[in-house]
Amino acid sequence: MNILVAILQGALVCAVAPLFTGLSRVIRAKMHNRRGPSILQDYRDIAKLLARPETVAEGSSFALRLMPAIFFAVTFMLAMGLPIFSQESPLPVFGDAITIMYALALARFFFALTGIDSSNAFAGIGSIRELLMSVLIEPSMLLALFATALICGSTDIASMGRHIAAGDVTAPVAAVLAAIAFAVACYMELGKLPYDQAEAEQELQEGPLAELSGPSLAIAKLAMGMKQVVVVSWFCTIFVPWGEPATLGAAAVLGAAVFLVKCLIDFAICGLIENSVSRSRFKVLGNQTWAVVGIAVLALVFVVVGV
Amino acid sequence: MSMTLLLAALGVFCAGALAALLLGRSDAAAKTASCLIGAAGSAIALAAGVSAVLGDVSRLNAAVLFPFASCELLLDRLSGLFVALIAALALVGFIYGLAYFDEYEGKTARAGFFMNGFVASMLLVIVADNVFWFLVAFELMSLTSYFLVIIEENESSIRGGWLYFVIAHVGFALIMASFLFMSNLSGGSFSFSDFRAQDFGPVWSSACFLLAFFGFGAKAGIIPLHSWLPKAHPEAPSNVSALMSGGMIKIGVFGILKVGLDLLQGSGTQMWWGIPALVIGAVSAVLGVAYALGEHDVKRLLAYHSVENIGIILLGVGATLLAAGLGNQDVATLALMAALFHSLNHAMFKGELFLGAGAVLFATGTRDMRRLGGLIRRLPRTGVCFLVGALAISAIPPLNGFASEWYIYQALFNAATLGDRVVMALAALAACALAITGALAVACFVKAYGMTFLSKERTAATAGAREVPAPMVLAQGLLALACVALGLGAPLVAPVLTEVAASVLEPAAPVVTAAGAALVNEATGAVMSTPVIALVLVIVAGIVLAFRRSRSLGAIRRTEPWACGYAPDADMPVVPRSFAADVAFFVGPLYTLRDRCTDLCWSVAGVFSRLTAVAAAVEPVPDRVLVDAPHAGVTWLAALSSKLEGGDYGRYIVYIVCALAVFLALAVTLV
Repeated sequence: MNILVAILQGALVCAVAPLFTGLSRVIRAKMHNRRGPSILQDYRDIAKLLARPETVAEGSSFALRLMPAIFFAVTFMLAMGLPIFSQESPLPVFGDAITIMYALALARFFFALTGIDSSNAFAGIGSIRELLMSVLIEPSMLLALFATALICGSTDIASMGRHIAAGDVTAPVAAVLAAIAFAVACYMELGKLPYDQAEAEQELQEGPLAELSGPSLAIAKLAMGMKQVVVVSWFCTIFVPWGEPATLGAAAVLGAAVFLVKCLIDFAICGLIENSVSRSRFKVLGNQTWAVVGIAVLALVFVVVGV
Repeated sequence: MSMTLLLAALGVFCAGALAALLLGRSDAAAKTASCLIGAAGSAIALAAGVSAVLGDVSRLNAAVLFPFASCELLLDRLSGLFVALIAALALVGFIYGLAYFDEYEGKTARAGFFMNGFVASMLLVIVADNVFWFLVAFELMSLTSYFLVIIEENESSIRGGWLYFVIAHVGFALIMASFLFMSNLSGGSFSFSDFRAQDFGPVWSSACFLLAFFGFGAKAGIIPLHSWLPKAHPEAPSNVSALMSGGMIKIGVFGILKVGLDLLQGSGTQMWWGIPALVIGAVSAVLGVAYALGEHDVKRLLAYHSVENIGIILLGVGATLLAAGLGNQDVATLALMAALFHSLNHAMFKGELFLGAGAVLFATGTRDMRRLGGLIRRLPRTGVCFLVGALAISAIPPLNGFASEWYIYQALFNAATLGDRVVMALAALAACALAITGALAVACFVKAYGMTFLSKERTAATAGAREVPAPMVLAQGLLALACVALGLGAPLVAPVLTEVAASVLEPAAPVVTAAGAALVNEATGAVMSTPVIALVLVIVAGIVLAFRRSRSLGAIRRTEPWACGYAPDADMPVVPRSFAADVAFFVGPLYTLRDRCTDLCWSVAGVFSRLTAVAAAVEPVPDRVLVDAPHAGVTWLAALSSKLEGGDYGRYIVYIVCALAVFLALAVTLV
């Protein structure tokens, strides 16, 4: 039963991911005073790519061919462990904070390897930046999660969410600070402006995709959208855990609706931020992540003090 | 039973070393004999270790002529684990050597002799239960490995070897001081069992622990005593590098555990001992991997990763000491299990990676990543094994590195919830350090793997490369398989290791670390399952691949990579330095720190050099008094006596006649 629910969750995230990435594009167009594409444009893009033949770079190997499948599998697996329909994760083995962080590392490993494998100069640089971004983001993300876990007494994200929903926390101020740090870290992980230029040029974060084409590119794009949904849902699950029913049942449909609305709001907020800031240089990133680490450390200090 | 097996294995290693010497004239014979006998010995030692881990604990007490050197050996669960770990690495190392030692023309006998001796001395260190034998074996281990490091006899190996030699002996001196203090405090006994019974009091026990911690830390390669690792390990033959990096530095960890938890058990573990372990562990982990990112030499990169992994293991050790000091044996057991599991895993993946680097060196003649590239097409089997090792060391689920790091996180979390605020802050910062380490390790191994095996071939160095001989592939395959098996089989391995940890810490109730196919943290209810993760990943990825195949419109076209309209050329793709430059931008100050530490180690080595110079100047002084004078006297006597025997036989006849006359006169007077 739980396995079916988990698979359903994966399928749901897979189905709605292009909708949310499409929403981002719509918001951007509106804020640029353009008419812009339809909200369904990303579905059309994926369908179009699936019908195209593929080319691969000369001298590339298995890494380039395997990456889309592995990236998709990782995001699908992470979606299976989210508490979407209720406050309980259908498969808690995928819902542990540590597991989540390191499963993302698996996707990143192959994603970055692809950039090098393709011998494409831009893709290679994109890989290096992707890896260094994660070096700067991951510590603050984990520190925020660890502080939250200490407040809630568990490293399981669903259980953290339940504690916060019930107000059963040892250090409420720390929880708020951890939420801020985690939110910023998640936002960076999404790869949106000012930390990336997602659509216009390919050099930066999506650089490793440069040598993908046809169905492979479609799968990779879908998986990247799914990753965004998954990252946003972690934030919702842990720090905005209200609305979903406590356990699975008839109310589960309501839970799914609440989940979608939360994601919609989050993506809308992200879209607003993204389009009201300017692009920052990659090398400035280090200064900003230190600020996030600072907030996370502060959260930890409050946990230790107990307020 | 296990002890008999172990003694048999030690005997076999001696035979292997002798065989290498006796057959030294022929490289092929010396290589085959020493490697096969060594492999047999390792297999026997592996059996001994495994049976001890499973509960077949045995000890040997044999009196010899001198009471301080009575032969006491102890093979309990903990030492059994380390015996098994080193024996397993030695086994694949010897198999690998069957082909790899062909590189060492004219030096094969030496390599075989010292490698057998090296493995035997490591095993002896682990089982020794007496100060005398422990120190003798420890010194033997340092010496044999020193000769393996300098086997190439070129400038860099002799320099690296010298640094290793010095640091190893600095560590040795600290360990000896610690043991002699303990011995003095327990009435001059050299037997470890007397130390266990004794309460040294908090001051002396802390002093002994710290001396041992830094002494064994030098062997383990903790920062700031790590500089010898990246200099010495890469110079040894690759299978010996694997043994040193995967096995020998674990003896440092074993020593810290043995002193902190076993020998000082009568005095009780102090909580604060965990603080240096945790802090130095965190620093070593982050700096080790940061330095690795800046390296272009595959083997040096791997050596720096040993510093990182020792740091990670020390995080587990630190959590163990903190929890044990706070009196919570359950959390301490979980933490110790995590540290032991990571030690085991590190041995497997680091061994694999060193063997892979050796295969690259064997096939191309270089270990400089700037000259490699595209090797996956030429060395496909090595490439796949190296990928497994790279994923495992980057703690990627579902492989073994991830399983043990997950436990280390859980142990840190549990330690943080014990109620001590200092411990809580330290544990959280240690977890943060581990997260940085994980992210940097991924970057480092994307670089190492991508630059060596993927992309286009950059230079002619790779042109004639062919897949390495079967024994080398087999050895790499075995270790890669071990990485997968220890990862997917973590729910089966963890309870066994928990029993090993429990045998040291003796928690009141058994600690549960696995349930069914899942790894669990009993205290918080956290679960994780490597087999389930693997299953889901394989199924979903398989479906996606099948789906993509179904969409395929015939053969895939191959084109040149896109270069914004320019014609792509060989200089366009990223090179290893591209990584290093960006990393140096973000973590530049850390590299300054490294240079300071290296300078420090060299200045220690410089002190040794000066000491030898002084010794060389002082040495002749007693010689002049004690040796030269008798020598002159003897020479004078000899000169005198030489006048007696000038070589003229007429004079001899006179002597004989005189002698006859004397004897006759004697006979006459006596009768």
